[in-house]
Amino acid sequence: MKRSGPVYLAVSSRQRQFEALTRAHAGDLYRFAYWLCGQDALAQDLVQETLLRAWKSLDALREAESAKPWLLTILRREHARLHERKTPDTVELEDNLAEDAAWASPERHGDAAELREAMSRLPHKYREPLLLQVLGGMSCDEIAAELDQQPGAVMTQLFRARQKLKSILQGGRPEAQHGLP
Amino acid sequence: MDCLEFRRRLGAEPHSRAAELLAHRDSCAACAAAWERAQAFERELHAAFEVPVPEGLAERVLLAQATGERHRQTRRRQLAFALAASLLLALGLGGYGWKRMDARSLPALAVAHMPDEIHSLDLVQPIGTPAIAAGFAVRGVSLRGPAPVDVTYVHDCPVGPYKTVHLVSRVGGTPVAVLYLPHKQVAKASDFQRDGWHGRIVPLQHGTLVMLTDRGGARPFDAVARHWRVAIDGEGSAQTAQRRAVNEAPGRLAP
Repeated sequence: MKRSGPVYLAVSSRQRQFEALTRAHAGDLYRFAYWLCGQDALAQDLVQETLLRAWKSLDALREAESAKPWLLTILRREHARLHERKTPDTVELEDNLAEDAAWASPERHGDAAELREAMSRLPHKYREPLLLQVLGGMSCDEIAAELDQQPGAVMTQLFRARQKLKSILQGGRPEAQHGLP
Repeated sequence: MDCLEFRRRLGAEPHSRAAELLAHRDSCAACAAAWERAQAFERELHAAFEVPVPEGLAERVLLAQATGERHRQTRRRQLAFALAASLLLALGLGGYGWKRMDARSLPALAVAHMPDEIHSLDLVQPIGTPAIAAGFAVRGVSLRGPAPVDVTYVHDCPVGPYKTVHLVSRVGGTPVAVLYLPHKQVAKASDFQRDGWHGRIVPLQHGTLVMLTDRGGARPFDAVARHWRVAIDGEGSAQTAQRRAVNEAPGRLAP
């Protein structure tokens, strides 16, 4: 039977939009969630909750370009709502991530493991803006709007986040502040 | 831009391609080297962040969404069905209640009585005042005024729960069935049409008059009501009622 008519078309179009949204952003959301909470299962739950909430308010999404920041906002709220109180300021990253060729490649494995370790020790107030910048692709102004902070404060947090990561990677030795050799 | 500002911007926004940033980088060898180190670090950071995504994650989310949505649609359909059934039931009960109530209304009872007495409308011979008075006496009613002269039928009939005096008045050749219901009080006069019958209900002092005719043309309800009001309530009451009717509804009923 041929199914047509405005109701069917409207539902189908919404469903198609959601499927495209999920396939396009599930990976990015998972990585963001993983680095936010440090747990694979929790990260997957957060992704699912985020996308199911997005489905309920899909009509609020007007432009495809806004999809990623919109989803990250939902995910951050979900994380805050469900887990923030239980999550310590730093997180213990799990080691049971699925094996991946790029991840497991010998030349990268060492660097990645050290950086993962460093990220786990990075305080939440530095980790979150860094994730929004590196994984979310947001500018300082966008991060400031997302975190409800001043752009100058966000710049400072991003600067210090990198400093601390480098410091941890160098065994706790602080990097030359402005390294003017 | 000086070196200090360059390093500060570089540490916060290493991906920035702001013109002043690039200009300083190209003019300062030390900062150019710092730039290269920062870009290398960013590449490592990106690579470290690129953790493998669990296989089938998107499909599992889509399955959860589709399953939940299907469940919601089923619940919505069940709710809609329940609402529709409740509405139909309410309409059915309402309709049944209304029909029951309507069937007990005075117009319905009066019209329902007529088929049993339909031949009375064909009688043309006046029956005379004594017979009329006897008909009312059966119901315990004494006439207070002269009975109309054109009455061709009288009988004590039960109409629904009411014990009535059933009469037929002929006015200008048109038979009008008249039911008098002693002790039945209605608030005001009203006309009705039902099942091919035209009727009028008129309140009297101690009862109610219901007039019916199935003939077309003029319906002499005004004259019939006036005659029976005089006969049942008396001349004085009929005049009072007529004045009240004129004052309250000029141009309307003048029974």
